[in-house]
Amino acid sequence: MRKIPAWLWILLTVGATGLVPVVMTDAFFLRLFTEALMWIGLAITWDLVAGYTGYLNFGHGVSFGIGAYTAALLIMRAGWPFGPAAVAGGVAAGLMALIAGWPTLRLRGAYFAIGTWALNRAIMQLALVLNFTGGPDGMRLPPFLDPKFFAWVMLGVVGATFLTLWLFLEEAPFGLKLKAIREDELGSLAIGINPAKLKLQAYVLSAVPVGVIGSVYAYWITFIDPVSTLGDLITDQAVVMAIFGGLGTLIGPVIGAILFFAFKTYFWAYLSDYQVLYLIILGLAIAATVFFLPDGFWGTVARRQEGRRALQKGMALAQLPEK
Amino acid sequence: MLVLLPQAIIDGVLLGGIYLTVAMGFSLCYGVLHVIDFAVGEWIMLGAFVALTVSTWLHMDPLLSLPVVFVVFAAVGWLLQPVLHRVLSGSRGRPVLMALVFTFGLALAFRGGALTVFGIFTRSLNTALSQGSWSISWGSFFLTVPFIRLAGLVYALAVMGALTYLLKKTDFGLAVRAVAQNKEAAGLMGVDIKRTCAAVYGLYVGVSAMTGVFVGAIVSLNAAMGPDLSLFAFFVVVLAGMGYLPGVPWASFLLGLIQSFFLIYLNPSYVLLALFTILYVILVISPTGMFRKGV
Repeated sequence: MRKIPAWLWILLTVGATGLVPVVMTDAFFLRLFTEALMWIGLAITWDLVAGYTGYLNFGHGVSFGIGAYTAALLIMRAGWPFGPAAVAGGVAAGLMALIAGWPTLRLRGAYFAIGTWALNRAIMQLALVLNFTGGPDGMRLPPFLDPKFFAWVMLGVVGATFLTLWLFLEEAPFGLKLKAIREDELGSLAIGINPAKLKLQAYVLSAVPVGVIGSVYAYWITFIDPVSTLGDLITDQAVVMAIFGGLGTLIGPVIGAILFFAFKTYFWAYLSDYQVLYLIILGLAIAATVFFLPDGFWGTVARRQEGRRALQKGMALAQLPEK
Repeated sequence: MLVLLPQAIIDGVLLGGIYLTVAMGFSLCYGVLHVIDFAVGEWIMLGAFVALTVSTWLHMDPLLSLPVVFVVFAAVGWLLQPVLHRVLSGSRGRPVLMALVFTFGLALAFRGGALTVFGIFTRSLNTALSQGSWSISWGSFFLTVPFIRLAGLVYALAVMGALTYLLKKTDFGLAVRAVAQNKEAAGLMGVDIKRTCAAVYGLYVGVSAMTGVFVGAIVSLNAAMGPDLSLFAFFVVVLAGMGYLPGVPWASFLLGLIQSFFLIYLNPSYVLLALFTILYVILVISPTGMFRKGV
């Protein structure tokens, strides 16, 4: 029997997940379902730049906020319908990544982290002082209350993102080239890879889906303000999820996002009197993961399995009769 | 508006002075440990809150709690450094970035802890020097120098002098400079690397926390102010050039001047926007700082 290709597995999984809103129609559940999908999308796109390329982007929220604000402005001020506005959100985030990425990606290591964080903060301050974004009061959008619609839209966006990233990173040479840049940027230049171009491609590729997700978020939640869309917490949580799941893999951040989101939901549902404790746990979770599981949850599991497989292979070889 | 010019300049210099100490510690820490500490703003914030707690508990002036704050936080830094060292060394890939993520996690946990214990309200530290000020008028120009700001500058210069003495004149300073230059070689020459690194981190954390007391007394203190302060510290360190100590005073005074000019002449709500934009632009144009001497 021929092996089922990975992209078919992904399509089947996404399709099966698409049946969930049909079976579970509870509005609260659908809200959690949609938000979990949103975090999966944010975590895998963060991992594209951080895990595969080795650049810690602390300005992931920029794409999210720009997508959300673009969609909100187009819907409210220009009267666009939701579909084109969401596409425009993705395009705006991509353009922003193109313009900002070209100079920012020349920075390395910690400088890149500081630069993207400063950019994120600067844009958040800009959204706070500008008039047409509503300043600190934010913007309200016309409510469109159909939880199923949003669950499917989010699933479509995140599923398409996952499939695209899988094809680019795991099936095409693109992923290997990015890993070469991560391991040794000068060395990759020496073997004929153009790091500047590839890094920019990866950066834009990680920004566009986040912009679309931001647009969907704006229309779904119907209220956006600078802190909720451009604040540090968007990036922070994506970072925790990706690192907890395992950097440099695509499945890791998905698992990390699901586990962490489940924990977060449970926490807010049962311990809401201690809201700020959430930050402590978030911070300790990052620190402990870096300390104890530097490869993340999935990375550790995958490495164990690899080791076991290699061991079995070795044992089998040792038992071969000598000729 | 011109009459306010001397005031704007003196405010800027006095405000910039307090960032000097943080940036010196940060630069030292980076030079020796190669750690970019994302929790630097949180150390400042925690220092201020510990001073607040100690001074209300013992009914004494917050400025008198400076030694307590220094000792407590130096001990915390000393004890924390081995953990950081384990993240930085070993067989893991990209240790420097992992250390950065680690301090970032610490920063989140500290902020959460402070928010839990002290709440979201903004407070200020009241010291004996808070009320008094020293006024000069000369024609239509006038100048008001609050004593507490002057004390901040004196404190900053004293810490700078002490650190310079420690680095240049003592055996410990020699060891620190040797470790910064070449870790292996310094180890071969008999420098206890673990202890030196722990002491440098403790020194940096202690100084940052002490500075927090002045930040709390001059500006205000709030459990959520850490990220902004971290970015101020990055601003100074990046402008000065990472690891280049002589650039630090200029960059600190520039930060203070930008803040005071925006507050007096332009819209105060643009201060943070301007600072973060300048930080970003400087990083992009010249990551080695305005003197191009950083690493």
